[in-house]
Amino acid sequence: MYDLVRGPLMWVAFAVFIVGFVYRAVQMFIVSKKKEKFFYPVSWAEKQSIGDYSPEEHRLKWLVSFKNSMLGNYPIVTIVTSIFHVCLFVTPIFLLGHNLFLYKAWKIRFLSLPESITDFFTLIFLLCGFFFLLRRIIVPRLRAISTFNDYFLLLITIAPFLTGYFAYHQWFDYKTMLTIHILSGEIMLMAVTFTKLGHIIFFFFNRFHISSEYGLCQGSRTW
Amino acid sequence: MIIAKVKPLNETKEMIKGYGKILNVGCAGCTAVCLAGGQKEVDALNVQLAASCKTDQIPIEIDGITIERQCETEFLAELDEMVEDYDAILSMGCGAGVQFLAERFPAIPVFPALNTNFVGVNKDIGWYEERCQSCGECVLGITGGICPVTMCAKGIFNGPCGGANDGHCEVDSEIPCAWVNIYERLKGQDRLDNMLKMFPARDWQNQIQGIIVLEPFKKRYSK
Amino acid sequence: MAVGEAKPVDKGHVKNLLNKKKGKMKLSLFLCAHCGLCAESCPLYRLHNQDPRYMPSYKVINSLGKLYKKINKVDGSLLEEMKELIFKNCVLCGRCYCPLGIDISKMIALARSVCRSQGVCGVYPYSLGAHEEDFPEALSGMGAIEEK
Repeated sequence: MYDLVRGPLMWVAFAVFIVGFVYRAVQMFIVSKKKEKFFYPVSWAEKQSIGDYSPEEHRLKWLVSFKNSMLGNYPIVTIVTSIFHVCLFVTPIFLLGHNLFLYKAWKIRFLSLPESITDFFTLIFLLCGFFFLLRRIIVPRLRAISTFNDYFLLLITIAPFLTGYFAYHQWFDYKTMLTIHILSGEIMLMAVTFTKLGHIIFFFFNRFHISSEYGLCQGSRTW
Repeated sequence: MIIAKVKPLNETKEMIKGYGKILNVGCAGCTAVCLAGGQKEVDALNVQLAASCKTDQIPIEIDGITIERQCETEFLAELDEMVEDYDAILSMGCGAGVQFLAERFPAIPVFPALNTNFVGVNKDIGWYEERCQSCGECVLGITGGICPVTMCAKGIFNGPCGGANDGHCEVDSEIPCAWVNIYERLKGQDRLDNMLKMFPARDWQNQIQGIIVLEPFKKRYSK
Repeated sequence: MAVGEAKPVDKGHVKNLLNKKKGKMKLSLFLCAHCGLCAESCPLYRLHNQDPRYMPSYKVINSLGKLYKKINKVDGSLLEEMKELIFKNCVLCGRCYCPLGIDISKMIALARSVCRSQGVCGVYPYSLGAHEEDFPEALSGMGAIEEK
């Protein structure tokens, strides 16, 4: 079993992840459509607008944008989710154990963080995950839209970290735990294409795809 | 909200005379709220037009569709594929909607089915009153929340005029004098000194089309 | 016509409308992480004491989401069910914020178009608590036309 998850299954997982990633990205490009750009007659419009912000308005602007931002509206969730996602990427990539494996296999390695730090990150990540679970159970508006899938997805995301934590601390049978750890990681990679975890791809492209007040630019391609 | 009223049937019939296939486009924005141009009104007008034309033995085919708002590009785009099949379009939007619709489909004649009356309030169901003339120079802060431009028959900035009679307007003894109302309200709020503030006369000359591009979006629309 | 009474539905037409924008709509529905962060951006949600039924994602999932799920068996009662959700609980102001950048208002607009095409639409004025049968004449728009 251990050889299976370390050998062929790992390749399958990587292949599914990469093909799926590309597929979703291409699909996103295809379903978006080109948008005609608008320009405004500067002098004409300028004459009628109230003019530029006064110095005081400039000073107060950050307050308004903060109040309207996610951080202003949901400070705790925003902080937790940021930490959660940073840990999600940083921990596995800069983990010493992973890099050793990588070096053994392909003679490449990334920078490694001290094990005590990655251990701490994992713990933080698990706490954040637990926070999300509680939030989904407690907050009424989330309960209203939560389905089995949402809980399942959280499980898929947390499982590699939980088993990794167990394996690192050699709780339970090490070999079995390691096998489950690798397997759960592979499941997560493959799930990116087929589940809501696809927001890993969506997140980076989509801001350019909307022409609303939250869009990053006028958007030459849009939904 | 913009208040409009359905045109007399004969006027609409006269406009669309000679066009065989007509698309009646409703607007689910303001004109639907004032019961003039929503989906129900589109259906009602179509039934009447079809029946009336049948009596007069005018061959006509009239279809209806209601879009969310005729004053927005993205909603007008829904019509792109449909309009080619029609000889003329009847719009149940406000004046802005009719013009925007006509601008999008310059090859097809667009006719208004409503008279757009004013920016007003829903005093109660089916009872609408004008409150604003969108002059772009709001003085309500000084006039105790009563608009001299809208509520005064002469629209004067420094009232009342000599025609005020017993608190009523010289135009019609039923109409209350706006400036007497302003006086009474300011008196009640102990702000009578506002009456002495002289307003310079409004600049009615060279009224050009209004364009507003908000400060944060200017970069988006400039070349 | 009494409120809640199901009207016959042109299933083919509904399917056509839904299929036309299937790509991006299904992708958006699929990717919604059900995180609930769109809630506070909705003015109506804030207005109604944070009632979950006004949360943008709730409105989309229970209108357009259901339509795509039951794309082959859309019936009048389904449309009537979502009517309040998309016509009354949303003014389509387009200010909903999604951290993933999903265009929520367009999705509600599509659900509205589908309902409209089958004669299911919002009746004004909601705010006054009026029902269609209370003001049949005013709401049909006939009053304004008859008066020459």
